[in-house]
Amino acid sequence: MPSVPRVTKLLLSLHVLAAIVAIGPVTVAASMFPAVARRSDRSWLTLLHRICRVYSLVGVAVPVFGLATASSLGVLGDTWLITSIVLTVAAALILALVILPGQEKALAGQPVTRLGMVTGIFNLLWATVTVLMIVRPGSTTGA
Amino acid sequence: MTVRTASWAEFVSLAVLLLNLAIVHLDAVTSLGGPVHGCAYLIVVILTLRHPGLSTGTRMLGLIPGAGGLLVLRRLS
Repeated sequence: MPSVPRVTKLLLSLHVLAAIVAIGPVTVAASMFPAVARRSDRSWLTLLHRICRVYSLVGVAVPVFGLATASSLGVLGDTWLITSIVLTVAAALILALVILPGQEKALAGQPVTRLGMVTGIFNLLWATVTVLMIVRPGSTTGA
Repeated sequence: MTVRTASWAEFVSLAVLLLNLAIVHLDAVTSLGGPVHGCAYLIVVILTLRHPGLSTGTRMLGLIPGAGGLLVLRRLS
């Protein structure tokens, strides 16, 4: 990349760091939740839900710093980026409207169906976004 | 506790951004302050919306940029 400003490099580092620190734990904890729920191990269930809830909140930093990085790189209009934004919004909605409420229901002792499947879709969505961020199809700035 | 930290971060980051806009125009401050303020604002909004036992009016207060979090804190205390 020809002479990227230092601030852009810092923003990109913070974006990647936030993605690893925040989305990683949510992926693992949300994936473990359905299996632990079947064993009805309450203390583990509470901890896993807490990890999902807290790190989802930290995860807000990922798209925010991502948008700032994209804006300072001047790639906001690129197709790969718009696709990533759409997929990220979908993943965020699934997490906030299906996975977290589903976990709360399971914690309250109510039966929850398809939580494992929805969690799988969430993981697939953000894995797709990660690949898009690396491959950047159609980008002319190089991989 | 989290609401308090996020509210102050929201307020201070906006103040820094506006001061920078008025006085020194440092690019680095704009580039970093923007996302920091954005994060703090979104965290305040999410925490306010999910906080149990708040009236709709208080939840709407949280949406005000910059001072929303502190206004919610005042309602909470």
